[in-house]
Amino acid sequence: MIALSQDRLLTILAWIVVALIAGPVGGAVWLGIAHGDSPCILCWAQRTSMVLIALVGLFVLRYGPRRRYLGMAVLLGTWGLYMALRHSALHLARDVGQGFSAPILGVHTYAWSWVIHFIVLVVIGKLLLLSDDQVVTGVREPGHLGRFAIVLFMVVVGANALQAFVSTGPPPYIGQADPVRFSLNPRHWVWSREETEGRISWRGSWTIPRPDPAAAAADPDPAHGPLAGLTALTITGWERIGAPLEGSLTDLARDPASGRFLATTDRYGAYVLDSTLSRALHRVVLDPGFSIDLSPLAGAAFLGGDTLAVLSTNKNYVLLRPDSTAEAAREWRRFLATDGEVTELARSRFATLRARQMYVLSLAYDPVAEELITVTVPSPRHRRLVVSRFARSDLRLSSEFEPRTAPGLVPSGPDRALAEYVVTGAVVEDGLLYAVSAAFSTLLVVDLRDRTLRAAYTVPGLAHPVGLAARGPRLLVAQADGRVAVVERPAP
Amino acid sequence: MELLNFLIILGAAWIIWRRPERERLAFTLLVVSCLLMALLFLIGTHTSFLPGVNL
Repeated sequence: MIALSQDRLLTILAWIVVALIAGPVGGAVWLGIAHGDSPCILCWAQRTSMVLIALVGLFVLRYGPRRRYLGMAVLLGTWGLYMALRHSALHLARDVGQGFSAPILGVHTYAWSWVIHFIVLVVIGKLLLLSDDQVVTGVREPGHLGRFAIVLFMVVVGANALQAFVSTGPPPYIGQADPVRFSLNPRHWVWSREETEGRISWRGSWTIPRPDPAAAAADPDPAHGPLAGLTALTITGWERIGAPLEGSLTDLARDPASGRFLATTDRYGAYVLDSTLSRALHRVVLDPGFSIDLSPLAGAAFLGGDTLAVLSTNKNYVLLRPDSTAEAAREWRRFLATDGEVTELARSRFATLRARQMYVLSLAYDPVAEELITVTVPSPRHRRLVVSRFARSDLRLSSEFEPRTAPGLVPSGPDRALAEYVVTGAVVEDGLLYAVSAAFSTLLVVDLRDRTLRAAYTVPGLAHPVGLAARGPRLLVAQADGRVAVVERPAP
Repeated sequence: MELLNFLIILGAAWIIWRRPERERLAFTLLVVSCLLMALLFLIGTHTSFLPGVNL
């Protein structure tokens, strides 16, 4: 391999400093002055990182390639790569053309930052690979090119300092998330410290704890709920799932055509039960780690015909179908266990907008609209009750809404909200979404046509409800322990 | 604060150019500037070190 002499190495390095300073760093200043483009606080940090990499280059020009300089360059390249990826993550998933700031050659600056820092790391590795082992250190004359690099560096960094003064102000002001366009007119200068405000967290808004139905059911007292003066529904009888299930029940659905039930458990079991709940007709145990994360299961629904839908709390779903010709060997990848008579049709994810970053604990199917329906549960970050509807045809989002409250429903306090309910079971009948809340043992009735919470009823006597099914004029409220409460279905 | 950071960098570059015998001071300024840059970035992300994506 051909080794570079130190003089050759330093010459190359000087050109790299010139290119870095004149290109992305100087170009960014030009964008500001000529086009009014102002960097956000994250852009400033990435620009500073490029400046510091160039500064390390000046150190090497002046003092030789000492190890701590090279180490610092690698650290800066790595940190810059992280910053670019972290920044890009804010925008990469947006819709087409919705990037932030002015694009250069069709690519936004935060993506260019990723490219530049990646190149920096590659170049450092290449130079180290080719450099001569005979390292001479000590103060050395930079030469004409080196002096030009230093002067250019100071001029460009000085221009950046001027732009930083105009755009972000003197300390303690700092950069902004949404800076206004660059102007030399002081009346248009906006200096702010708003970025220092905010919650401290590793993952920011993505710190969402998994829902805990048991914790939600810890307060079943309807009197503590966010709605006051509700009518009580009486439990007219109790039934019990007699078929043996592995694990605790997480949802129960009923097929009105056949009278069969679909039960899911916290051990990834999906069971088709007969109309008496006493016998399992089909059984599979889903592999929760294959292809998508299915843990834990939270919802079940019949989609008409023989198609079954099973949902996990993160809005991932599996479609199943009883099939006497199913091949156990083919289904092995999808099921941890099977009776050999169930086929998996699809396994994918529901995408939501209003319900994004929220978990669900229920699934319902509207046979008239041919839509699957989920209802969000609150978290410390997001306290909203969002009904999401997904088209049966393509399993994509049809609509989402937060139900209005009908005039007759009265909050029990000024700060109370529907989002305090934790819906763990849901079913659609006659255009109405019936949803049972484990918190405060309450049945909510949402009119899907006008998106209004028409009525709410307390159901004293429930303990940890996890599912809701309809059987003619009655509702069946399934509990985690396998008991099923029967109540008359109210029609508001 | 970005202004302060650029002034620190300018100071380091000035030392490299005109006072090269004070390399230790220049390198210290480089380290301080790196730390300030990292701090400002973390403030800008509201200290959400990890991006807003699934992990």
